[in-house]
Amino acid sequence: MSQHRSPTDWFGPFGIDAELAEKVLAAAAENGADDADLYFEHATTTSIGLSDRAVNRAHLSIDLGMGVRVVVGDQVGYAYTEDFDLESLLRAARVAAQIAHRGQKVVPVRATSRKISDFYPTQRHWADVDLVDRLPLVRNWEEWTFAEDPRVQKVQVSLADTDKHVLIVRLDGTMVADYRPMTRAMVGCTMIDGTQRETGHQNLASRVGLEYYTEERQRRMVKEAVQRASQALISESPPAGEMPVVLAAGSSGILLHEAIGHGMEADFNRKGISIYADKLGKRIAPADVTVVDDATVIGARGALNVDDEASPTEKTTLVENGILKTYLHDRISARHYGVDSTGSGRRESFRHPVLPRMRATYMEPGPHPPEDILKSVKNGLYCETFANGQVQIGAGDFAFYVRQGWLIEDGRLTKPVKDVNLIGNGPQVLESIEMVGNDLVIDEGGWTCGKDGQSVPVSQGMPTVKVAKLSVGGRR
Amino acid sequence: MSELLDLAQRVVRQAQALGAQEVVASVGKSISTTITRRDGKVEQATESTSRGLSFSVLVDNRFSSHGTSDLRPDAISEFIKQAIAATRILEQDPERALPEAPLCGRGATAAALDVLDSAYNARSAEARATDAELLEQTAEKANIPSVISRSSQVADGCSQTARVDSNGFSDTHEDAWFMWGAEATFQEGGKRPEVSSYFGARYLTDLPEPQKIAQQLEDRARERAGSKPIDSGSYPLILLNRATGKLLGAFGGPLAGSALHEQRSCLAGKLGSRVGSAKFTLLDDPTIPRGLASRPWDGEGLIARPFPVVSEGVLDSYYINVYYGRKLGMKPTTGGRSNWVIPPGDQSWEAIAKAYPKAILVDGFLGGNSNATSGDFSFGIRGALIEHGVRTQAISEMNVSGNLTDIFEKLVEIANDPYRYSSVVSPTLVFEDVRFSGT
Repeated sequence: MSQHRSPTDWFGPFGIDAELAEKVLAAAAENGADDADLYFEHATTTSIGLSDRAVNRAHLSIDLGMGVRVVVGDQVGYAYTEDFDLESLLRAARVAAQIAHRGQKVVPVRATSRKISDFYPTQRHWADVDLVDRLPLVRNWEEWTFAEDPRVQKVQVSLADTDKHVLIVRLDGTMVADYRPMTRAMVGCTMIDGTQRETGHQNLASRVGLEYYTEERQRRMVKEAVQRASQALISESPPAGEMPVVLAAGSSGILLHEAIGHGMEADFNRKGISIYADKLGKRIAPADVTVVDDATVIGARGALNVDDEASPTEKTTLVENGILKTYLHDRISARHYGVDSTGSGRRESFRHPVLPRMRATYMEPGPHPPEDILKSVKNGLYCETFANGQVQIGAGDFAFYVRQGWLIEDGRLTKPVKDVNLIGNGPQVLESIEMVGNDLVIDEGGWTCGKDGQSVPVSQGMPTVKVAKLSVGGRR
Repeated sequence: MSELLDLAQRVVRQAQALGAQEVVASVGKSISTTITRRDGKVEQATESTSRGLSFSVLVDNRFSSHGTSDLRPDAISEFIKQAIAATRILEQDPERALPEAPLCGRGATAAALDVLDSAYNARSAEARATDAELLEQTAEKANIPSVISRSSQVADGCSQTARVDSNGFSDTHEDAWFMWGAEATFQEGGKRPEVSSYFGARYLTDLPEPQKIAQQLEDRARERAGSKPIDSGSYPLILLNRATGKLLGAFGGPLAGSALHEQRSCLAGKLGSRVGSAKFTLLDDPTIPRGLASRPWDGEGLIARPFPVVSEGVLDSYYINVYYGRKLGMKPTTGGRSNWVIPPGDQSWEAIAKAYPKAILVDGFLGGNSNATSGDFSFGIRGALIEHGVRTQAISEMNVSGNLTDIFEKLVEIANDPYRYSSVVSPTLVFEDVRFSGT
């Protein structure tokens, strides 16, 4: 299967071609439009699960449909259909067209296909992998998990993969197709030691095929799940209140995602409802801080060859040496600001309109060895693994939940801690970043970002970073 | 609806013909419309009509479940073949067998559930557009100093489901919903705090008037102004009625049969034991007329029946579906919650709060999570410091922490204000000696 095949190859058997797309776009633009696009999607997902020492559940799903969007200024009309007959497609187009009242129809340009980048080269597509070939993976993970520690009493394992094909056709004649693989693995275990019991989980995700699962990567996933359960058994809740916080390299990127990333999404800024709406070109962080949102990280869960409105993707520098350089743009906001789209227009599926979204967000490495950062803290909290976060875009207040970490005493990690929410204000926390490590790690976890009821896969990363203070929701 | 039922029956027959001993097929269709207005015009209008088929099969005691939106007859036939073939590769899991037929059925008539407003089908596109414009114009009148942006939203939808089980159970269900709301963002120093007021209901006439939404937006903006963290410490917690779902949701996690079976429930072994004060009673009632989580049967087709989860502090029931019931040797209740109801008290929360020199009112959460195994929870909060029943300081950037095994022991009072616009029909709850972290 070629990445750069003709766009209609995949959807051809469904009767979708440039001529049909032109008819549907003509209906979408019959009342006038500044922009319009069609988004065809065909996704097949397979998941298998193992519990009670048996591979005892499987789920297959197919998602097929087309979304049509009509844009007039910053107004959007949107509809979708799960039927690919011309009548259904035209009906959806005419519903979306109701947003426009100019009465002056726009004639679409006959679509021609355009080649796109290849940020997720895939050797073995999931569609070519028999279910029976997936079984040894999950069986091994279970076996290795039990073997890792005799205190492991229960193991749950799952493996899910998606082969998604999209075809985007625009009013201006642009037509692109993208094959988007995704795999996600999870190992969880319950560990019992005397009267104490705890759980540990680890998951991996990537836009790639079966070749992703090297033995080293699989064994690392299992070890981390077991180690987390083991550490949780001896962990306590940390003290409550404000304290210095050191964020470990990797999934600490959740801080960037919540404290900066959402506030940089340009729809919030063009409406004036982001706390960063008047900060373009201004200093918002110390000079060591450079933050990017990067669609080009090979195989990353947040990688994208082309965005969901057919704009080329890129590595976007949001904050450069502490200065806010740009927002994350879709076509609507790019037109509003008079700039090019950053290729950040994304949607959960054909059922959802495009929004500016993050892809893989991380901080570039700084000058400090991580051990020097740790040594600089007298008393504080070291945050290692995370569960979830949330932000209030306008107020800038954000929170993220730390599954596991350590107390820092006299520059050393002393006591393990767990299950604590950290809360702060985005701009204030950015200003209070005191040290940036030289050890950037882009996390391999299966992060999913929610916005306006839409979920999209993202990645995040971070070097070790010291923040002067955050409010820690401990119980002591 | 008959078209959906026909398709579900066809899928069951096809799967059985291909070797499935047991089959459940469900076909759904949903329609929704959303109009968002900002700055005097429609910002986004979305209309969707969605259909889908889901089915599960048991083949030689092997189980799998499937879903597709590709409803072309040939595609469905091919998909069923693939699904059956995939199932044969799995290992046996006989506990997945369907529930015995007498357990399945309807717990309330459609008339008793009353979740389908006839006004939905009569509603025109023009009526939606007019309502959206009226709501926006009314919300514009909310007096919000230094306002930057306002938006309003009108949405509604309906869904139809047809279900056929090979054990003989088959039924259909239809419901509708309506949602109105408004948001505003205002300037406050370098911050741009946002406030919102949204309401959902089964009947259009059960939604509040636009004036109430506008007034609530104005009140919330005033109450939010000047928010900041206060000193860390233990305070009484006044958990406002509309915010109770977060804490109750965390409590529900370790009640699940899956959590018990996987030995990751902090409430394991607590059936019949105290899990809260005598003030704590929690009912699960899927039969509330016009309830937002009302249903005739649950996800396994089990008859929907009200049951107590906690009675005067004593744990009465876990959430046990048929599968985990067999695994655990327990009688099934239901696999997932419906409407949660906490019976109201006699006084307003303001009257209760007068007794406390200082208490923290929580009206919303920001992030946070809980650990079902240990029971620990930690949530970000927003709200206000209440001194002798009076708001004296808006609060943000603080956390509340505790443990699910003892937080409800601290429940001391229940107000008289059950929240009607949610499937968590709870009054405001008052707890004592709860840990907050701020400055």
